[in-house]
Amino acid sequence: MDLNFTAEELEFRAMVRQWVAKNLPSELSHKVHNALRLTRDDMQRWAKILGKQGWLGWGWPKQFGGPGWNAIQKHLFEEECALAGAPRVVPFGPVMVAPVIMTFGNAEQQKRFLPGIASGEVWWSQGYSEPGSGSDLASVKTRAERQGDKYIVNGQKTWTTLGQYGEWIFCLVRTSNEGKPQTGISFLLIDMKSPGITVRPIVLLDGEPEVNEVFFDNVEVPAENLIGEENKGWTYAKHLLSHERTNIADVNRAKRELERLKRIAKAEGVWDDQRFRDQIALLEVDIVALEMMVLRVLSAEKSGKQSLDVAGLLKIRGSEIQQRYSELMMLAAGPFSLPFVHEAMEAGWQGDHVGAAHCAPLAGTFFNMRKTTIYGGSNEVQRNIVSQTVLG
Amino acid sequence: MDFEFSDDQMSLRDAVARWVEKGFGFERRHALAKAGGKTREVWTELAELGLTGLAIDPEHGGMGFGAVDAMVVMEKLGKGLVNAPYAAGALVAPSILAAGPEALQAQWLPRIASGEALVVLAHQERAARYRLDQVTTRASEAHGRWHVDGHKSVVQAGDEADAFIVPAHTAHGIHLFLIERSHAQVRGYPTQDGARAADVHFKNAPAHLISADGLQLLERAADVGIAATCAEGVGLMDQFVSLTAGYLNTRKQFGVVLSTFQALRHRMADVKMQLELARSMSYFASMKLGEPAPQRRRALSQAKVQLGQSMRYVGQQCVQLHGGIGVTDEYVGSHYFKRLTMLEMAWGDSQHHLGEVSARMQDTAGVFA
Repeated sequence: MDLNFTAEELEFRAMVRQWVAKNLPSELSHKVHNALRLTRDDMQRWAKILGKQGWLGWGWPKQFGGPGWNAIQKHLFEEECALAGAPRVVPFGPVMVAPVIMTFGNAEQQKRFLPGIASGEVWWSQGYSEPGSGSDLASVKTRAERQGDKYIVNGQKTWTTLGQYGEWIFCLVRTSNEGKPQTGISFLLIDMKSPGITVRPIVLLDGEPEVNEVFFDNVEVPAENLIGEENKGWTYAKHLLSHERTNIADVNRAKRELERLKRIAKAEGVWDDQRFRDQIALLEVDIVALEMMVLRVLSAEKSGKQSLDVAGLLKIRGSEIQQRYSELMMLAAGPFSLPFVHEAMEAGWQGDHVGAAHCAPLAGTFFNMRKTTIYGGSNEVQRNIVSQTVLG
Repeated sequence: MDFEFSDDQMSLRDAVARWVEKGFGFERRHALAKAGGKTREVWTELAELGLTGLAIDPEHGGMGFGAVDAMVVMEKLGKGLVNAPYAAGALVAPSILAAGPEALQAQWLPRIASGEALVVLAHQERAARYRLDQVTTRASEAHGRWHVDGHKSVVQAGDEADAFIVPAHTAHGIHLFLIERSHAQVRGYPTQDGARAADVHFKNAPAHLISADGLQLLERAADVGIAATCAEGVGLMDQFVSLTAGYLNTRKQFGVVLSTFQALRHRMADVKMQLELARSMSYFASMKLGEPAPQRRRALSQAKVQLGQSMRYVGQQCVQLHGGIGVTDEYVGSHYFKRLTMLEMAWGDSQHHLGEVSARMQDTAGVFA
């Protein structure tokens, strides 16, 4: 048992750090470090820089053009990017649909879709949730009827994150009503430019249109866009959910945001308020404990001896921590987190900030973070899963 | 980075587990506790397994093992609810003695390793709470001989020990001394968790100087104690959680087993969370013991904050989940709860260590900060 990284791991980290320092545009890291608004172009810009280096699919095996890194290397890469203030990679393409295409797609599909994902050229969205299918995802009703060599898709997806930018969407669609709900679901890739698709943004409580409704009205989808077999989509989706288990904890971002919280607390004069400072200390302990739990999972993966069944715990804890640091930042600024000045979250805004520039995004971020305990399987659903590991 | 246990560590773990299974069932533990918590015979059995020499150098008859080995042993002793002063006698005291004069080491360490002797730290004073630098006990030197005056409380296994390690103030700060039992007035009593402690008075007691660098050594010994406490806590929680899961899967009310109720299932998920966070921080504590003092102290305080919270939550919730049987003396679960409760106060409670973490925060944070 050894907490320290090996010499090779440290060398790898140094290599990544150097590369990120050289290639991450400072306009982007400035926005990330200050929680300013990121545009589609900002996100795409970083994705393409990574893509050019062959690192946008940083979790991919070599045979599909990825770097073939092990669990520890992937973690170190993510950590270096997060601490340097790189925008989060929009995960739907490289992290979510790509592994499904690699594992269950045919050679033709792999050849057709993976290059655009790896380069960052094509923006992917996720079509899972529906108005009637939140935590109970297996109840999806969006229908896909086979007619000759195509499917006709009708229905509605919702909570589609950044779907307003989406060029392709991977969807869970119902192809059969027989048997258990899980057995009639198929995994379909749909070109969002297809006639019959309408995207309507949903403005969230922070005033930002982060998610969307996507309507399908007799949308024709070529049958060759079906992944694997018809009615096996649930299995593929579960594979996807089990992928990148430590990613969901987002502990690297939490470490970066803890640093920001401390800067804000100092600027706002609450760093020396013992009661406030103790709350930061408690969060610091929570973050160290979460990081240790993540490292335990990585070590188990690296050794291949035994897997650690703690994905649900990582999701619960990681999301609670995200909510807590954003809450403490808002509380640190106190009344100065109240003003809601939309432009103040643009980088380079020349207007008069109320209080200080760092106050502007705090409440919005806090409100936005309420999503974290709801999405990706609500924390209550996660508790059901965790309790199964203890009670059967 | 690698959190796998070595083959040797797994053999060590299995050896302790086998001894617990064969020789330390709940009936024996209960009887020892009922009789006042004296466990010198258990100390001797642990010595026969070689465990009392675990952290002692081979040149003094020990095994020279490290912090992770100690953690492995403590987890199993926790799991078995072993009420002998193993951490106090085999981990904490030797960590101080190993910094003493060679003659003193040669006199005591081999006898600790063989189980002949039990030496414990006597540091708790009435007004100090958890502050190691608050010492009213005085030591004075005359003609090259030291004498100590003072009063220490809640000294673990105090009336079973052969000697005490005593922090005392001198004209030059806190020093550490070894004082033999025959030079102390000792009043023993049972403790809430089925073990034993004592108040120890020193009146002009002849003392051997261990080190003039008292506070630094004492802090390090406390950190050894914290790491051991963390590991024991994990073992206790591990077992109590599995007892509770077993109970929920058997006990029926309203015609069904309790584990069918979602309110109880979610509680168990929260209990599991606290257990795994605690286990993570117990690893962290043991692996940080070798770091330079500032990082080590911060890390051990971080660990104790987590363990304090976890032990309180898991202990209290597992009692609750058992219902009435959980608050009876005859059921083993209540004894896990009592030990978990007392361990929060060992070496500083959660509030104390939160203050330490708070005071030691840097701009950056994390496992490697």
